[in-house]
Amino acid sequence: MLFTKNKKYNSIIGKGEALSAIGFLSPTLIIFGTFILFPVIFSFYLSFQKWNSFSWSGSFIGLENYIRMFQSEEFWLVLKNTAIYTIGTVPLNMIISLLVAYGLNKKLAGKKFLRTLFFAPVVVSPVAAALIWRWLYDPNFGLVNYTLGIFGVSPINWLNDPNAAMFALIGMGVWKTFGYNMVLFAAGLNAIPDSYYEAATLDGAGAWSKFWHITIPLLSPTTFFILVMSMIGSFQVFDIVYILTSGGPLGSTKVLVFYVYEYAFKFNGEMGYASAISYFLFAILFILTMAQIKFLKTKVLG
Amino acid sequence: MRNNIMKILSVLLIIGLINACGKGEKENSSGKVEITFWHGMMASSVPALNDLIKKFEELHPHIKVSAQTIPNGDAGIQKIMTSLQSKTTPDVSWIYADYMEDLVLSDAIYPMDEFINGENGITKEDLEDIYQSLRTYASWKGTLYSLPMEATNLALIYNKDMFKAAGLDPEKPPKTWDELYEFSKKLTLDKNKDGNFEQVGFFVPVFPSSGSRNGWMVWQFRPFIWQAGGEIIEADQSKVIFDSKEAVSALSLWQKLFKEQKLSTFTSDFDMAFVSKQLAMAMDGPWSLPRYKDLMKNLNWAFAPLPAGPAKQATIVGGEYLAIFKQSKHPQEAWEFIKWIISPEAQAQWAMSSGYLPIRRAVAKIPEFQKYLSENPNYKVFVDQMEVGQAERSIDYGGMQITRYLGEAIEHVTLGDGDPKAELNKSAAKSNKLLKEHKK
Repeated sequence: MLFTKNKKYNSIIGKGEALSAIGFLSPTLIIFGTFILFPVIFSFYLSFQKWNSFSWSGSFIGLENYIRMFQSEEFWLVLKNTAIYTIGTVPLNMIISLLVAYGLNKKLAGKKFLRTLFFAPVVVSPVAAALIWRWLYDPNFGLVNYTLGIFGVSPINWLNDPNAAMFALIGMGVWKTFGYNMVLFAAGLNAIPDSYYEAATLDGAGAWSKFWHITIPLLSPTTFFILVMSMIGSFQVFDIVYILTSGGPLGSTKVLVFYVYEYAFKFNGEMGYASAISYFLFAILFILTMAQIKFLKTKVLG
Repeated sequence: MRNNIMKILSVLLIIGLINACGKGEKENSSGKVEITFWHGMMASSVPALNDLIKKFEELHPHIKVSAQTIPNGDAGIQKIMTSLQSKTTPDVSWIYADYMEDLVLSDAIYPMDEFINGENGITKEDLEDIYQSLRTYASWKGTLYSLPMEATNLALIYNKDMFKAAGLDPEKPPKTWDELYEFSKKLTLDKNKDGNFEQVGFFVPVFPSSGSRNGWMVWQFRPFIWQAGGEIIEADQSKVIFDSKEAVSALSLWQKLFKEQKLSTFTSDFDMAFVSKQLAMAMDGPWSLPRYKDLMKNLNWAFAPLPAGPAKQATIVGGEYLAIFKQSKHPQEAWEFIKWIISPEAQAQWAMSSGYLPIRRAVAKIPEFQKYLSENPNYKVFVDQMEVGQAERSIDYGGMQITRYLGEAIEHVTLGDGDPKAELNKSAAKSNKLLKEHKK
């Protein structure tokens, strides 16, 4: 205010303001640039390189990493496993979280406590949780087999049997994430006005037809959001795979991100190949999300 | 004016932040040289390590050793990789033979000859007193790039009471493959006749080949190849030979034991199974001895040498290896530390306090250690076994992948329905393709 009379000085202040704006933004910019922007760009660059991370220099090899990926038998197996995991977890996860959220939406004693209980797995460190699940799944000492044993089921080695390991993984995956979706569904349910239900009751609608004709359609924006986010999440699953099964047995639980990890950090640092797979994963998720938006937008929001 | 001050302050703040991330100076005011030492020791062994370092610092008052625990295995090597790039390597670190190739090719570590033959070196006799097997493993293409800090090997642990109950002599553990198989059969019991075994004879360590325990599985399989008279790789590194009929016979034994004892539905925590009396025999190393004193005090157990195969008696020798990084500002002090660690006196102290095995024969001449051996017969089994211990013939190129391929074969014949010969052929073909590509 003091200096606005002087035109010349005014312009200097303008410059100074820009400078101080940059100054104040710079901590965020530096952190964002170093840990998000740079890795994104650098890994794209790396996907055209052959680079072992022990040395400074790589060499340009064009599309070779991508070609190698599509020609690899293992890559397709891994892609298939990731798809199975997604198909196994996402619908199950959504059904369970919707039912729990719907159940807890009623007036119920201990509602808050139950909600906290169901949400707890989301907050638990995935590594700690996976270690506990490894115990639960242990063929000799595990609670899962013990419980099944009561019903006369002979012991299953959940984590060492190629036919069972994926189920074990899906079981834990659903347990770990449904609480988050439950909270989202609960918020969605709360947003549905009571008057709709009252009107339906007056028209003589039963509980089922109210759920089917009011709750489900009015919840669909939430459902859609959860579907997209859950698919992205399950395509990127890594931590629980790493601890629970390490991709085994016989490669039956090896998923995309685990495959990336193996090449980037285990096989003498094949960073280039790993980056190429990462970008392929990005492409899949991008296309899937776009397709979902396109197909569902008209139905859900239109 | 105020604006300008704010500007200057914020810039200063940022500069300060950036500077704070930098590395502090290592020399401290008392004129001591500080060297950092990274290791992956189990928490239970750290107090013993601290005692060892304290002794070193007493003898070398101008050096301070700052020991830091890093994760074991894969995660540890990732840390080393990162430190190489950010120029923050330790002076001395445990390294893993699987990654020796990368470390040498990226010029990260010193060859040991520079120090051994230097002014403050050690004699040829001293060097050759270290078990040959350990020296082989510490080398890459015939050049020493590291020195062993401690040795381990693999022996057989068995439950004497179970032997007695099965009508076997508890003082006569299996001496041959045939006995191992025969005893396992006698010790595998379905007590309530429900088709599942409540007690298993011998634990075959099978883990997912894509997991972190693959190296561990293959490590335990290697002595079986040697016992049969086979090898992993040709001495000239031209091709792998683990598809020989000797190796096939070793894998067939594993397959037979694994399938007939229905180990696919058995826990992979063999020590828990052993403690809870569900398991009679397993392979294990001296690192478990301190823990077992308490854990197994209600059991009647003992260690015995690994059974001999059709060709010979053999066990696998391992250890932890120390290397000096080229980024170190104090390589001479780092060498001083390693030189002392491998001395017979330090080795005796370390062996007795940690439960690891000494890396050289001269330790056995120390009276204190002799007394320790006579008091600890289980420990003595391991020390005696060092004489038949073999080092893995190092795989100079692609060790990680080849270990993985071999692990895949083991996994496929045990957890899957693979045939040992066919699976080993497949894995060997993949490995040889890799070696050929490297040669190009």
